[in-house]
Amino acid sequence: MSGLTRHIETFGALLLAVIWISPLVFAVWAAFHTTSDAVNFNIAAPWTLDNFRTAWAGAPWLRYFLNTFLLVTVILIGQFFVTTLAGFAFAQVRFPGRDIVFLLVLMQLFILPEVLIVENYVMISRLGLFDTILGVGMPYMASAFGIFLMRQAFKGVPIELHEAARVEGCGWFGILWRVYVPLARPTYLAYALVSVSTHWNNFLWPLIVTNSPDTRPLTVGLSIFGAPENGVNISVISAATIMSVAPLLVAFLVFQRQFVQAFLRAGIK
Amino acid sequence: MPDTFVEVQNVAKRWNGQLGVEGVSLSIPRGSFVALLGPSGCGKSTTLRLLSGLELPDEGRIIIDGKDVTTAAPSERNLSMVFQSYALFPHLSVAENVVFGLKVRRVPAAERREKLKRALEITGLLGYEARKPGALSGGQRQRVALARAIVANQPLCLMDEPLSNLDAKLRASVRKDIKKLQLDLGITVVYVTHDQTEAMSMADHVVLMRDGRIQQSGAPEDLYYRPANTFVAEFVGAPPMALIDSAMLPGFERATMIGLRAESLRLAEAGKGRLKCRVSECEFLGSETFVGLTHPGARGLTISMPGLRHIPAGENLEIDFADEDLHFFDAEGNRLRHPNGVTV
Repeated sequence: MSGLTRHIETFGALLLAVIWISPLVFAVWAAFHTTSDAVNFNIAAPWTLDNFRTAWAGAPWLRYFLNTFLLVTVILIGQFFVTTLAGFAFAQVRFPGRDIVFLLVLMQLFILPEVLIVENYVMISRLGLFDTILGVGMPYMASAFGIFLMRQAFKGVPIELHEAARVEGCGWFGILWRVYVPLARPTYLAYALVSVSTHWNNFLWPLIVTNSPDTRPLTVGLSIFGAPENGVNISVISAATIMSVAPLLVAFLVFQRQFVQAFLRAGIK
Repeated sequence: MPDTFVEVQNVAKRWNGQLGVEGVSLSIPRGSFVALLGPSGCGKSTTLRLLSGLELPDEGRIIIDGKDVTTAAPSERNLSMVFQSYALFPHLSVAENVVFGLKVRRVPAAERREKLKRALEITGLLGYEARKPGALSGGQRQRVALARAIVANQPLCLMDEPLSNLDAKLRASVRKDIKKLQLDLGITVVYVTHDQTEAMSMADHVVLMRDGRIQQSGAPEDLYYRPANTFVAEFVGAPPMALIDSAMLPGFERATMIGLRAESLRLAEAGKGRLKCRVSECEFLGSETFVGLTHPGARGLTISMPGLRHIPAGENLEIDFADEDLHFFDAEGNRLRHPNGVTV
């Protein structure tokens, strides 16, 4: 009986995996075949790289890659800076109203970013950051999730280490830099993974706040490339999609083990 | 009296009205080994933290090396500290842990290397430089903590129960190492412990505390031979001093309690002893056996007998002792002068 349930569980897991991965598999399949072969599922059809050539020539992809790369980097640096300082303050610095302020920060988690799009748009324009990469990244830098994560990580650092560093002559920033940050490394890694994959895939906000190929990230570039007015060619769009997701995909396959370990060690699933 | 190195004047620390320490005054000579002793929650660790600057006192003054450091930061007090948990940085190697403070204070690299080598040599850690604390045994971690404390040559070293995480055998050997280190380096050590054997064997000066107040402060032999009150009498010594109601012993009515050490007791022939007791247990220690005795008017009565003795529990014994071995305490538990003026 238990053998049967085990088989059912395995089968269920496999089924889910197949459902999850099928769009990606189809995209890969379509990207390497002509449109008619792709939609007819002609198994014997010859493989081709023409779609990639067409797609690559159709849009400034290199620019988009660079933009996305700059965007996730800028956001990550900003987030590390803000969440480290804020997390440390909430974890180890005593100041009046600390808990209330922290509660307010946590409230941010309940607000969907999409709700704030208009407000953010107004603010970014007022700051003169419209259609800049900094403008795309700015609203995400003070991440409540990140602050919460860092606070938890810093709270887990034994107080004796803090005190030992104080006796040895460290100031606040010295303690933060030499003790807390190195000890929270797994958390930083896990958070970086979440942040990079989120912002690599982010679409709506960059779509609204960017206006030119010079700032447009991959997601926006891809959607414009695949827009109906450019003519729908499922194979070429698939090829472009594969190109867009390839860096993350490869990174995940290469660092798979570290990813999982980082999440386990940081205590988030 | 040699010159005073650390001076604590009437220091108090309270938490939300709860007592931390109250009215603590200490004078620690340069180069001495002082043990702060007491049961848990007595304020010994608080006193150490006040000295270190990790806590600031609500009242009183602290002077180290002639400088008033009452409100100074820990790093301004020229001291090092060994924590009970060792507080080694798990992400740094042994060498990096030891030179952590030197690096923070921007000591040049060449000098750092030299001091590191010396500190590792003294603590017997050469060859372990690259190891992470996680790959060391408890005793080795303890030595890394010691190396970190001595590397900067600070004149004052504070130790907070540094041996409590070691097993008994290792503890005895590290005890000797620490004492030797302190003498060789000529540093002043303030050492917190709840283990009176540690305090008595290592320290030149023992400060026994209870409920945030100092009970007695003096040389180990003072605490042993002239306990200031019944708490000291019952805390110091293994086994501790027995206390007898003075009503049990005619002629000493001026005192309320009479103290008596195990080694002062003698077995007496039936009918000739001064107290009749019942045997409650025997504790064999190798060279001697402690025989626990019960008596309705006394507590903690133990007699030490040479070699292995086995006396069945419940047997009656009579004991005898000399008057000059008695200690006298008044109703508040404070020491009284000896009625015969023999001892103070």
